[in-house]
Parts: sequence; C-alpha cells; structure tokens
Amino acid sequence: MTIKRKPAKPGSDLLQGTLDMLVLRTLRLGDAHGYTIARLIDQRSDAFLQVEQGSLYPALNRLEDRGWVDSYWATSENNRRARYYCLTPKGRRQLQLERERWAQLVRAIGLVMRPAEE
Amino acid sequence: MRRFFRRGRLDAERAREMQAHLDHAVDDLIAAGRTRDEALREARRRFGNPTAIREEIYRMNSVPVLETVVRDARYALRMLRKTPGFTLAAVVTLALGIGANAAVFSAVNALLFEPLPFPQPDRLAVLEHHIRSPKGGENRSGGSNGRMWEAVRDHTSKIDAAVVGGTSGVNLVADEGAAYVFQQRVSAGYFHVMGIPPMIGREFTPDEDRAGGNPVVVLNHDLWTRVFGGNPSIVGRPIRLRGEAYTVIGVMPADFPVTQRSSFQAGSAVDLWTPLKPSRTGEGSGTNFEVVVRLKDGISWAEGQNDVHGASSEAFVNVPEGGIAELELLPMRDSMTAEVRQPLLLLWGAVAIVLLIACVNVAGLLLARGATRTREIATRMALGSGRGAVIRQLLVESAILALLGGGLGLLVAWGVLTGIGSLGADVFGLWQPLVLNLRVLVVTIAVALGTSVVFGLIPAVQTSRLDVQAALAETGTRGVAGSSNRWPRRILVVSEVALGVILLVSAGLLIRTFIHLRDLAPGFDESNLITASVSMQDARYRDAAAVARLFDDSLARIRAIPGVQDAAAGLGMPYSRLLNDGIRRVDGPVIDKPEDTTCGNVNWVTPRFFETLGIPIREGRGIQAGDVTGAPLVTVVNDAFVARYYKDGQAIGRHIATEGRTLQIVGVVGNTQQGNSGCGGRVGPITQPPCIYVPVTQLSSGFLTIIHVWFEPSWVVRSSLPPASLVPQLRQAIQQINAELPIAQIKTIDDLRGQKLTSQRFMMWLVAGLGLIALVLAGVGLQGLIASSVNERTREIGIRLALGASARQAIAAVVMPGLILALVGVVIGAAVALWSARLLQSFVWGVTPADPLTFAGVLALLLAIAFAASVIPALRVLRLDPASTLRAE
Repeated sequence: MTIKRKPAKPGSDLLQGTLDMLVLRTLRLGDAHGYTIARLIDQRSDAFLQVEQGSLYPALNRLEDRGWVDSYWATSENNRRARYYCLTPKGRRQLQLERERWAQLVRAIGLVMRPAEE
Repeated sequence: MRRFFRRGRLDAERAREMQAHLDHAVDDLIAAGRTRDEALREARRRFGNPTAIREEIYRMNSVPVLETVVRDARYALRMLRKTPGFTLAAVVTLALGIGANAAVFSAVNALLFEPLPFPQPDRLAVLEHHIRSPKGGENRSGGSNGRMWEAVRDHTSKIDAAVVGGTSGVNLVADEGAAYVFQQRVSAGYFHVMGIPPMIGREFTPDEDRAGGNPVVVLNHDLWTRVFGGNPSIVGRPIRLRGEAYTVIGVMPADFPVTQRSSFQAGSAVDLWTPLKPSRTGEGSGTNFEVVVRLKDGISWAEGQNDVHGASSEAFVNVPEGGIAELELLPMRDSMTAEVRQPLLLLWGAVAIVLLIACVNVAGLLLARGATRTREIATRMALGSGRGAVIRQLLVESAILALLGGGLGLLVAWGVLTGIGSLGADVFGLWQPLVLNLRVLVVTIAVALGTSVVFGLIPAVQTSRLDVQAALAETGTRGVAGSSNRWPRRILVVSEVALGVILLVSAGLLIRTFIHLRDLAPGFDESNLITASVSMQDARYRDAAAVARLFDDSLARIRAIPGVQDAAAGLGMPYSRLLNDGIRRVDGPVIDKPEDTTCGNVNWVTPRFFETLGIPIREGRGIQAGDVTGAPLVTVVNDAFVARYYKDGQAIGRHIATEGRTLQIVGVVGNTQQGNSGCGGRVGPITQPPCIYVPVTQLSSGFLTIIHVWFEPSWVVRSSLPPASLVPQLRQAIQQINAELPIAQIKTIDDLRGQKLTSQRFMMWLVAGLGLIALVLAGVGLQGLIASSVNERTREIGIRLALGASARQAIAAVVMPGLILALVGVVIGAAVALWSARLLQSFVWGVTPADPLTFAGVLALLLAIAFAASVIPALRVLRLDPASTLRAE
C-alpha cells in the first residue's frame, strides 16, 4: 500500500531521472543546500520548472545513496545551520553521462517534431 | 543496507534539514516584503507536505523483507513471553536434541573434518596394497612388508616416504631407577615426512637406521620434562633402554601428536622413538610396517599415486597369472580414522533421531498452541493479513524457539563434552581436545534453523488453513474437528513411534551385545587372579635360556609367598590377542602341503599355566617341567583347534609343523576367551579361537626375540591375598631376580576383559543414554499428541454417551485411533529398524541384528506408552455428564 504523491503542477511534472540531472547540474556551480538548489533550478529555468520544493529531498537522498553527492552541515549565508551538498567525482562522471543522454534525447525528439515538409 | 539500520537517526536529520529549507524560504519572502504569516504560508505551499516526503525517504531507506522479519520477531517474542510454560517445554526439548547433536558433531568434526595436526596434512598419505586373486578375491590393506617398503624407497621419485613399526613397552633405566615406557620404532626421515622436526637435536640418519647403526633415541616432550627435568643439554646423554646403552639425539616439541590414532593404532601414547632398521627379513618378512608418505612440492595426488603404482612390480613376488597386486596411496586421515568412522556415524545417526523426535514433540506443542490461537489468527486474517504472512509469522516464531533451544543446546553440549569428552577421547584416540569451535557453532545454528522448518512448517500450514468466518463466529472450541486437520497430528504420532522404535532397537541390540560379551564363559576360573606383564624386548633377555631362567627363578619365589596358591607365566593372557603364526598338519587324515599353512594362534607358557588359570585339561597332559631344550618338541592344543583341524576328534599323538619345526600334540585343553586375532574371519572383540600352546623352554632365541618385540609376557598368580598386599610382594620377588626390570602393568582379569570391551561399553552407554532420552521425549510427546486429540473429541463422546452409547464403546472410540496410529508407527519403525540394523552389523555380537527379543521388547514398550497416553484422558470421558455436554452445545 504505497501512497503515491500527486504530481505537482502540470508543466513541472519532471521525470525522476531529469530531476536528478538538474540537481547534479546545479551542484556543478558549487556546493549548495536544498533551498539554494531549488531556487537556482527555478531561476535558471526562467521560473518555468517550478519544482515542488519538497520533492527535491527524496532525490537528494537517492543521489547520496548512489554516491553521486556528498553532504555536510555548515552555516548558510543567512547565518542558519543548513545541510550542504557537493558533487563527488563519481557524480561528475554521472552528470557528463546524463548530459550526453539528454542531448541525444533532445535531438531525437527534435527530429521527430520538426515541421512537416510540404 | 547501511542506511537501513541508521534510518531513524537519518530521519531526524532530514527533518532538521527541511526546517532549515523552510526558514530560508521565509527569510527570502520577508525580505521581499511579505508579512511573517504570509511568508510562512507561502513557504509551506511551495514546499509541499514535509511528513509525506519524510515517509517517502524512510521507505526508500528500508529493506522490506528485513523490516517484516524484525516485526515478526518482535511479535513472536511477545507471544512466547505470554506462554512461558509452552516456551520452556519447547526450548528444553529442542536443547536436548540440538545439544546432543552439537556434542557428537564436535567429535565428528575433530576426527573427520579438522585437518590433521601436521603441516600441509592433505599431502600426507599411507601406503596400501591392493591384491586381487585370479579367482576374484579382493583385499586392500595398509600394512607393508620390507619388500614393499624398499620398492617405495628405491623406485619412486615424487614422494618422500618413511616407515613406522609397532609401538611397544620397553624398559628404560635412567638416573632414578627403572621405568616402563612406550617406544615407537620409526625409520630415518619419519619426522621429515610428518613435517615436524625435533625441537632440540635432530632425527635419525640413514646410517643409524640400518643394522649395526649407532643406538640412538629421540624423546617425546612429555618424557623429557617428566624424567629428564626438561634438561636443554640432553643431546649426547647416554641412557639405558631395552638393556642397552643408547644416546639421546633429539627431543620432539610438545605439539607433536602422540595419541593412539596419530601414531597408527599403536595402542598407547609414545614416550620415545628408536630407529626401526627395516629389512626384508624378520619383522619385515610380514606386513608389520606402516609406510607414511608425503607428496613432494608441486606433485599432485594423481602423480604421487602413479609414482607408487609404478613401484608395484618391485614390491610383490609370485603374483599369480591373472591376479593384481599393486601399491596405492590412501589419504592419511582416512587411514587414521578408518576404525572410528563407523561408530561416529552410528552415534551421529542416533543423535539425529533424538533431534527428529524433539522436532516432532515441538511440532505437537505448536499444533496444540495453534488450535488455541485460532481466534487470534482469524482476526489477523480478517484484518487483511494474507495466509503467507501468517505462515511466515508462525515460522519466525519457530525459528526463535529453535535459536533459543540451540543456545541452550550449546550449554548442554558443553556439559556433555566436559562430562564424557575425555572418555570418548580415549575410545576414539583423539589427537586434539573436543571443543565447541566455530564450525560446531555454525553447524549448530544451521541445524537449529533447519529444525525450525521441520517442526514449524506443518503446524504453521495447518493453523493458517482456517475458515475465518467460522472461527470468528464460534464462541468457543466446540464442534467436531474436521477430518482434514487430524492428518498432521496422525503423521506426528506415527513418526514419533517409528523414530522411537528405530533408536531403541539399536540401543537394545548394543545392550544385548554387551551383556553377551560380558557373560561369555571365560573357560577358566576368573577368581583371585592377578597378572603382571613385563617387557622382554631387552638385550638382557635375547637368549632363550635367560628368559627361561628369569621365569623359573621368579616363579619359585612367587610361589613361596604365603597365600599364593599357584603361579605361572605365558606370552598371552586370557582376553589378550595372541601371536598369529603359520601352522600345518603333517599327519592325520588331512595333510597340508608346505605352502598351505593356516593362520593359527600361538602362546608360549611355563609349566602349571593351565593349572594356575584353572583351564581344564581334557586329554593327555599340560606343559611340564620336563619339556625342555633337547627333549621331544611338544605342544598342547585347545578344543577349538581339534574341532577345526581334526574331523575325527583325535589330536593326541599327531604332529603339526610351525616355524620349520614339527611338534607332537601331547594334550588337549579347554577353550579360553581371547582378544580378536588377526587371523581373519568375522569374530567379535573377544572370542574362543583355536590355539596351540608351546613350552617357552623349547623356543629358539631368534624367535623369542622377534615375538617379544610385539608381545609382553605376563606372570599370572592365583592367590587369596587381597591385591593390596600381594602386589608389593610380587614386585619384591621380581626385583630380587633383577632390580632393573620394571613391571609393565599389573592387572586383574576384570581389567583385562574390561579393556577389550571399552569401546563396546562406551557405545552401549551412549546409545542407551540417547535411547532413554528418546524414550522420555517420545513418551511425553505421545501423551501430548494423543491426549489433545482425545480432549478435542470430548464433546463428541459426550453426545454419544447422551445418545445411549455404553462407556465401553465410548472409551474404545477414544482409545482405538491412538492405538491404531501407534501400531502403524511401530510397524513402520520395525521395518526401518530391520533394515538399518544391518548397518549395526559390525557392532553386534552374539545376537542377530533382527534379534526377536529386542524387537518384541521395544515394540511392546512403545505400544504400552501409546496405550497409557490414550487411556488416561479416556477415563476422563467416563466422568462426563452427558446433560451438561448437550447443554454446552
């Protein structure tokens, strides 16, 4: 009896793997805590990808379990204790992999979706 | 997995992290101009439901199977605590079964599984020879003669080999006086092959190991500390051994194993080693050696096997056309444990049966418990628990019972090992103490978990197979039990009885065997006899005349002791094994060709030997003082000899030849019980073989010297004096003849007989003890199983009584099913026992493995138990008030 959480808003219904990729990409910019990660994804997507912020945490748990990110507690810019995440070397390799896969996917979808030629 | 165990702490950390997230969001929103309340609401909206997220993460970090097992285990412990009586009964029953298993397994482990206590033990072997006659007779045996040894020594290249002779008691004269010690004779290179060098000094050189070599000796660590005070500069020290000057050249370390088995059935531990000086003549003319082999580095087992195989043609002469004679290697462990393998496996089988009976008992307890838990389980199933989940839960409960039983069982095993471990170590000739080591622990836990499935599965399946609605609707345990749920109990009753029969029949056969052996007519008067043995493997007694003089003089003094009625001496005493030698008939109805000698038992004796022991002289005369060198060569034979070799029953005046001399039979005496000889044939540990007696005064010095390497002669004294006062006078009499001649062992006839029956007695007590445990368990188990089935039918019987059935009919209705089941169990058990008793063949003497008395007794016993178990609850039926029964319905 697992309770499935409802998907967030339409348009931001991200595939699980995609969210992982976005988090990894965000951490490429530097170590960050959860709130920063969520805000960065929001800003960098021009507020299109409005992640339901809570759904970040299962993803972070998963990434840490797989050894792609590491975490530590530190004091944030607002002078609060926060848990920071950083990329591991393994995470960097994974990001590279996902970036390539994403490029292939975009290209493939683009090919299918190109305007019909009269 | 790591996260599974830390998930509680991780969750708290995650909560703090999320709180920090919300705080940051609120900070930003306030900075953007919102009020605190608005900011809080907006932050929560954007975040989603923190609790749901935490749950999701918690689930991600958990392992479902482990989770449920832990939950089941907690629940099971709670349930078991609620019924302490049941839990105690089940755990104690299992502890008995598992404990007995652990104890026996530790012996099995020490002998059959633990590596031999030598470096690289898997590269050690002994030489065997494999003979197949053209007629198809086949024989593999371990002994080697001088020719085989030389073949292996000179015609192999891939192995290191050495040769071991027998172990015998010898006389050691050191500073403080004479001592009797055990000497093993080994060839040069023996310690090198075994892989453990002397800790002080060196081992024998090939030069010392041939005729005329320097007399040198290597000491055992124990003798070195005991007699020589652990003197580190012992090397080079002269000692007197076997009446000669020897030089100590080495001391073996304390961890060099010298038990009976590790020194090749030597019969005792070893105190010191002397060079064997093996040759093809004398001792080496027969298969009296054991060749030990170590594969050289990098040589595989098959290559080593081929290597010795290639030496076969050098090892045998006169191999008949079409026959096979070849050398083979046998792993050393197999050779060392060949004799104990069967008794150990028998014990293992016996404890396995005890464990199975324990399982049946606990299964019965669980069934009864399942019946009372119907409502609990029905409730759980009604609330959505699947049948699989219920079975899993019940099996986890069983596993916990089994593990508790296993833990207690290890305590039982520890108690057993400290109690009888040393006795067993003697019987089995262990080279290491019995301990509960890691392998025993692992096997015990595995056994415990295995048993939990054996005893838990049937009750679990049975309990979970219920009609939820009916079970919940019923207000009590009324109604007639359906026929389908009687089957598990029936199976349990039948198996309990059958298992009991199998074990008790084995125990009965061993007890009958022991009684048979103990009560065998000795063939002589056993009362008031004392024997004293002495080692004649001694330079001072190489001459036949010196031996004769020693016994003549000492016997004269012993007979002069007041209270001594008679005294004599002989090479072998009753219950001992006698010398085997070739004998053939040279006259009479059948004359044997010179190459057709048969293996006979030979004993040298002094005059008055038969009179002292009270062996009846049937015909002719005994050995007399006039039978000396130069007089006609004579022999006295026993009844068994006459029966075997002279169909007409006439022996007096006929002649037999042995050792190249012809002897005239001058007397026939009664049979005596002797140890199992090496003459072949299936005989028990004590038996009445055909024997010939010859006067010691007519034997050659050379022959005496050889046989005194293997056998120690004894004085035998008949006296009404208590041993405590006789023994010092006996010692004194012998000391007066030779002050440096230690008496080896002083024993009564009971000691001699008891020695021969040690392993029989040990096995009998162990198996009988296990049988007793099995009997008690089976009795308790049957009582429980049958009584609970009677109780379940109480109401039904009440109705029958109310409807007019007579008391007799009612009782028969309750008692009969139990008895029929017991009968079925008895029949199955008897059939299996009849089959399995054949495995006991080598332990059973004087009774057939299908001994009717044993079978009848065991069957009657178990049927009686089943009857009692049925009748006691049935009598309660008589007290039933039909009216109240009906009202309850």
